[in-house]
Amino acid sequence: MIKVNQLLKTVSTADGDLDILRGIDLEIAAGTSAAIVGASGSGKSTLLGLLAGMDVASGGEIMLDGEQLGNLDEDQRARVRAEKVGFVFQSFQLLPALTARENVMLPLELSGRKDAGDVANRLLGEVGLAGRLDHYPTTLSGGEQQRVAIARAFVSEPKILFADEPTGNLDTRTGERIIDLLFRLNAGAGTTLVLVTHDERLARRCDVRFAMDAGELRSLGA
Amino acid sequence: MCGSLWMRASYAPSALKLMTRTLTWKFLLRDWRSGELSILLMALVLAVCVVVGISGFVSRLQVALLSESARFLAADAVIVSRTELPEAWTNEAERLGLKTSASLGFPSMAVADIERMTLVSVKAVSAGYPLKGNLQWSVDPYGAVQSDGAIPLPGQIWLAPRLFSLLEVTSGETITVGERQLTISGAVRGEPDATTAVFGFGPRLLMHVADIPSTGVVQPGSRVEYRLLLGGEADVIGAFLEWLTPQLGQGQRVDSVTTSQPRIGDTLDRAQGFLLLAGSLAVVLATAAILLASRRFGERHTQYVAILKSLGAQSQEISRLYGSFLLVLGCLAILLGCTVGWAIQVGFIWALGSLLPTTPGPAGWEPLMMGAVTALVCLLFFAWPPLSRLADASPLHVLRAEVDIARMQRVRDLVLGGAAVVGLMWWYSGSAMVTFAVVAGLMVVTLLGMMIGRTLLAGGHSFGGFAGSIWRVALAGLQRRRRANSLQMVIFAIAIMLMLMLTVVRSSLISQWQAQLPPDVPNHFLLNLAPEQRGQLQTFFAQRDLQTETLYPMTRGRVMELNGAALPRWEEAETETAPRQREANFTWSDTQPAGNQLTAGEWWPADATEAWVSVEEGFARDIGASLGDQLTLRIGADSFTVAVRNIRRVDWQSMRPNFFMVFPRSVLAAYPGMYMTSFLLTPDRKNLLNELVRELPTVTVIELDIVIKEMRAVVDQVARALELVLGVILLAGALVLVAGVQSSLDGRLREAALLRALGASRGLLLGTLWIEFLVLGGLAGGLAGVGAEAATYALQTRVFDMTWTPTPLMWWLGPVIGAVVVGCLGVWSCRHVVRTPPVVLLRET
Repeated sequence: MIKVNQLLKTVSTADGDLDILRGIDLEIAAGTSAAIVGASGSGKSTLLGLLAGMDVASGGEIMLDGEQLGNLDEDQRARVRAEKVGFVFQSFQLLPALTARENVMLPLELSGRKDAGDVANRLLGEVGLAGRLDHYPTTLSGGEQQRVAIARAFVSEPKILFADEPTGNLDTRTGERIIDLLFRLNAGAGTTLVLVTHDERLARRCDVRFAMDAGELRSLGA
Repeated sequence: MCGSLWMRASYAPSALKLMTRTLTWKFLLRDWRSGELSILLMALVLAVCVVVGISGFVSRLQVALLSESARFLAADAVIVSRTELPEAWTNEAERLGLKTSASLGFPSMAVADIERMTLVSVKAVSAGYPLKGNLQWSVDPYGAVQSDGAIPLPGQIWLAPRLFSLLEVTSGETITVGERQLTISGAVRGEPDATTAVFGFGPRLLMHVADIPSTGVVQPGSRVEYRLLLGGEADVIGAFLEWLTPQLGQGQRVDSVTTSQPRIGDTLDRAQGFLLLAGSLAVVLATAAILLASRRFGERHTQYVAILKSLGAQSQEISRLYGSFLLVLGCLAILLGCTVGWAIQVGFIWALGSLLPTTPGPAGWEPLMMGAVTALVCLLFFAWPPLSRLADASPLHVLRAEVDIARMQRVRDLVLGGAAVVGLMWWYSGSAMVTFAVVAGLMVVTLLGMMIGRTLLAGGHSFGGFAGSIWRVALAGLQRRRRANSLQMVIFAIAIMLMLMLTVVRSSLISQWQAQLPPDVPNHFLLNLAPEQRGQLQTFFAQRDLQTETLYPMTRGRVMELNGAALPRWEEAETETAPRQREANFTWSDTQPAGNQLTAGEWWPADATEAWVSVEEGFARDIGASLGDQLTLRIGADSFTVAVRNIRRVDWQSMRPNFFMVFPRSVLAAYPGMYMTSFLLTPDRKNLLNELVRELPTVTVIELDIVIKEMRAVVDQVARALELVLGVILLAGALVLVAGVQSSLDGRLREAALLRALGASRGLLLGTLWIEFLVLGGLAGGLAGVGAEAATYALQTRVFDMTWTPTPLMWWLGPVIGAVVVGCLGVWSCRHVVRTPPVVLLRET
């Protein structure tokens, strides 16, 4: 499903070029869950951005469900995201102007689905927010906001789900509930899950684990 | 997965467009509901509203003032002739659909009986007179005034009120004019064209034009002025005058208010200039509001777009979405803005009612078009660039917030937008100079603002390091948001500058008009006073406690030769502009007459005995004379030669006796002439004129009181119109200041919330906010003072033909107004921060 070969990411700073990713090799099979762990600033989120086609690599190759991302321009990568990818972010990234229901409807509306409202209602029901459909993000707790984000991620039935520190902004108990939910939905949909986290307990629930350290990735095994 | 938008896009573009349209409406509705949309929509509506409201109001005032100026002619245009006007001209005017009315005027004797007769200024009018304005009359000399469109019937006459007592007659009695006896049926109380149709110097006698032949007064060679009054649409009149002008002969001309009554024409011209300036400023203010709002909208939507992109939206779709968004928003804003703007100007007219100078005219479609074009230009040049760049926003923003706010509005956008605004101003004001003056002020403000942004605000941090904690926090805030603050400061400065500028121009225009017509300006001229009557006149005035100006000696003379070469007579001149003989009143003076300015040469000493002359510049042009030339003059049968010692510029609009030719006392000593003077006579003492004429029957009195009264009325009306427009602009300026404060609210609220969460007291937060806004407002006000001075200089010297004097008041008033207004508005807008619990704020921001 995901195959990465000698991936490089270098950025220019005032002090010269800085290598953020130094020749990453990675392979994740379809339907599995993978965790990438590492300290802050180790390059985890950069790798996630590149895997999702939201950024351009300085070198190397990324193959995502048969698509060579390096050969695609921004709009083509957007098409790949629309078709194949879902996201859950640390800071939820809900649109504050939209209600919970409208946030979940958004990906379906972008793809022209007529039944966006019904599907969103169903998914929000599945994540336990049937009674909060018309609430705006600012009136929801952090856990509730993340549940809306998860519902939005699954609503378009993606093949791959990227989650960037999905429990990073939540307390332990809420975080655990969110993780349960994430894994339950993932199992149900057969989605490939790629998690970036520094939470070891969360990482241990994944099928495979990788550790990122100073721009280099090593496998921690299953 | 269901068929996605992006896959289908390549197969079914129409379906995609339909989807985008649906989404656009959904997004619009959602943004509207959340209040997000209102920021930009309100700014757009404000822009359209201000432009439509002000330009509509200004247009209606302009139409009113134009019709007011037509009132002074009693028509839209007048053909004046010393000979009878060809009937073909009237026929052609009527064929084109113009209204016409003929009148003629001449001086004549009105005779009650052999003991009671006086020189009068006869005006004979025909049906339809006046075509503009009202003829006011009363049955008795000082009875109830009527304005019912009546004119004297054939066989009847109306007299000026003082003629009743002068001739000792009452209504119903008869007066003889020439060979015809006419019955007095009323008193003339007001003529619209009293200031422009002056026939001779006596009081008015109004009669019907049908009675003229039977009086036998008008003969070939009589001093008669024929007037053909024309009324109708400007373009039809223009077409008629185009046809007529080549046929005008000697002694025939077309009169407008500018040529026949230059002072009133000048007043109206300047007022119009002011109104157009005000309209142009409305455009700038509206643009400033849009600039601020679209910038804020763009900033707030960057994250929005990043999320959409992370969900798979393509750049093209984002562009199309926001393009449609703006289009819908623009149409909505135009609709709402035009409706509200129109209602505002109607409301103004209704609310101001009796305060309005004249009955307002129709506004026409132009204000609505102006509003719509302003909205489209603003959207295209100010709102669209930052939104179009949203399409380039990286989806990576959802992982790392790295919104580059400063790049939301690029220099290129501002330059293009600035050019568009200049174009709009030019289109609206129709004056390159008005546009230039305002742009000059704006440039000064912008450049200085950028410099201050780079230096002062940047240095605030280091200064703040030495200050107390409130100052440190406040100045650090100013420094941190340096770019945003610079833009905000420039916008504040522009709004304050425009308000200051308009206030100064308005004040100087009004004070100049009032200075030209002080309350004690003489309103009567007295001519043909014999030297031996001087004592008698002074006694007459002293007994009645009347003040007179200086008595000026006056001799009628003619310029015959220039440097020994005979000048042609008027009718012999080859062209209209060729030098020719001219007749004029000569006077002598030891000193340079007050209000006269030498343009060449120098004045003579008081005891000069040389044969010198001082010539008025226009007169010198007519006779072809320049400094040092020898002029041969004739007074009566005597000829003598003088040298041109100097050329003078005369203010003909001053109400003082003015002369074309002034000599040293010794030159005119041998030619005893008559004297003239001027004096002020209040309306309640008007009958003293009758006593004066009885005591000194040979003198001629020119009554200018009606002219001055009309001029004062015009100045008062125009001044009131200016006040109203200034008020509207000040309101618009205040709204821009509010928009300016609002534009920086998000960042400030976020920071304030954090500071409160970290334990900052309400006092510290309030103090910080006060300092930030006071500093910004004070700096903006200072800039505004400088910009307003620059713009005022250009306007006064280039547009309003006035003398520029610096306005030191602006230099300190600008910063004070800026600090107080921006400070209060800013703190008031952020009051939410100190009242709401920090946790709520943090969640909201």
